[in-house]
Amino acid sequence: MIQSIREIHDSFDRGEKKPSALVAEYLARIQASPLNAYITVCADRALRQAIRADEVLLKAGKVPRSGQPLFGIPVGIKDNLALSGVRMTCASKVLENYIPPYSATAVERVEAAGAITLGKLNMDEFAMGGSNENSAFGPVLHPTHPDRVPGGSSGGAAAAVRANLCVVALGSDTGGSVRLPASYCGVVGLKPTYGRISRYGLVAFASSLDQVGPIAANVEDTEVLFNVLAGHDSRDSTSLLSEVTAPAAPFSIAGLRIGVPAEYFVEGVASEIRTAIHFKLQLLESQGARLVPLHLAHSRYAVATYYLLAVSEASSNLSRFDGVRYGVRPQAAVEAGELGAFYRATRARFGAEVKRRIILGTFALSSGYVDAYYHRASQVRKLIQRDFAQAFSEVDVIASPVAPATAYKLGERSDDPLQMYLNDIFTVPANLAGFPAISLPSGEDAAGLPIGLQFMAAHSNETLLFGLARQLEQSLKEERS
Amino acid sequence: MVQVNEKLTKDLAELSKLELTPGELQEFTKQLSQIVGYVETLQEVNLKELNLEPQGLANSSPGNSGGVLREDEEKASLLDSEGKPAVLAAAPDVLNDAFKVPPIL
Repeated sequence: MIQSIREIHDSFDRGEKKPSALVAEYLARIQASPLNAYITVCADRALRQAIRADEVLLKAGKVPRSGQPLFGIPVGIKDNLALSGVRMTCASKVLENYIPPYSATAVERVEAAGAITLGKLNMDEFAMGGSNENSAFGPVLHPTHPDRVPGGSSGGAAAAVRANLCVVALGSDTGGSVRLPASYCGVVGLKPTYGRISRYGLVAFASSLDQVGPIAANVEDTEVLFNVLAGHDSRDSTSLLSEVTAPAAPFSIAGLRIGVPAEYFVEGVASEIRTAIHFKLQLLESQGARLVPLHLAHSRYAVATYYLLAVSEASSNLSRFDGVRYGVRPQAAVEAGELGAFYRATRARFGAEVKRRIILGTFALSSGYVDAYYHRASQVRKLIQRDFAQAFSEVDVIASPVAPATAYKLGERSDDPLQMYLNDIFTVPANLAGFPAISLPSGEDAAGLPIGLQFMAAHSNETLLFGLARQLEQSLKEERS
Repeated sequence: MVQVNEKLTKDLAELSKLELTPGELQEFTKQLSQIVGYVETLQEVNLKELNLEPQGLANSSPGNSGGVLREDEEKASLLDSEGKPAVLAAAPDVLNDAFKVPPIL
């Protein structure tokens, strides 16, 4: 049984459990888990943190009520966020032995709020992938269907939350990497507004798209974690100066305008997913929401636009992994004698998907092709942004599936990168346009695989998304009981 | 329409400082050809009437408009403090208190 933050704090308050005992339970479960969700477990560090929390609890008699919303809560961190003194690999052989000398702002904030870090979570190498099969440390298995993928790139994070190998997790989302695995694993994931959470200490993949995001088993815990993470950071120049939009009134479903884009409920989406989502939307309509048909003219160009921009930025960002400043410098590189050979020997440690994207990015940026590919994609990005700006002037939120199908079998799509990319059709617009989007569990298909429903909202409207998400979560709970 | 062939893939790999095995070269060429074929759909988008700026990530990136500057504050470097061993430990190779790098000339 997965306990919420509130339930854990209640058990601390009542003296039924102390943080060190809770952490020991989690560490034992991680040890016994076959999912491969963690790359590095920091057991000793976590137990030391937990013993300090025990002392605070013993002294105060209950959970500190201010400044410690994550007091004693075991958290997992995706392995592309730096935690000082603990190995950070990005699931790559290039960074196999890299130990960062500082922590990411997101990680600092979570620990300052009282969380206990259990370890670093598996992912697709450098966050490139949607299945978690591109990890140099082996794939993560789906938490309830181990012959299937958990989604990616934050696959370890979503699987760990679902399998109760941490209470909440930090992921990152460049084109759906929080929302897709959350959807496949049946948990909640948020891609916040671009700039809402500091990217300082997050290894860059595509800097104009990357955003840190919370994953949790329920909406309330996702919001608690989000509130800890959100805020300006002078160490990230893209960190927003403005606050999350405060709603004028408490959330009410009455009169809420939910946009339903025609382009997002088409043949290519599994009929079970369409049915499940329509049912949820009808439920919200029966409670007073208004469903508004929408048209997003440029949605068919989103995947092509996204991949051209993401790989271009990646080819530039990943040029730093050259064996000069970071990680491993293979003997072959030292012996190469010539600088080009030195670089090639070092970069031979990248996995296939990373190499593919670097080459594609080099193509899109190279002289002769840059106008037709990179620059054109930047312009189409603007058109997509306009489509959504127009849509959000007519509706409060937009609904869509998270993915066209539920979790697929391991290895099923490994040889077909294009097919993998097309799976991101519903998630990439939020990154291209920078607005927030949340992935919510929305029933299961006939095989028992979770279906994900996505709500998107205008910039900085996370509070609205959480309000709607709580409403749906509560309604579904009542329906089941 | 760009023809993706093994020569182009090889040139791009060279620019990317990546070495491909003959198997990878063949596989990547096929996959890149499919992907480039797919992204060609952007060529049909009409940009002319929309009066967009000609180019630029800065223009299309979401976030703070105009960027954010902060005061330049003097702070201790990680290398000036007890962080030094941790910084040097992250270097692939070290000579005294410095990162040892390959000769470039």
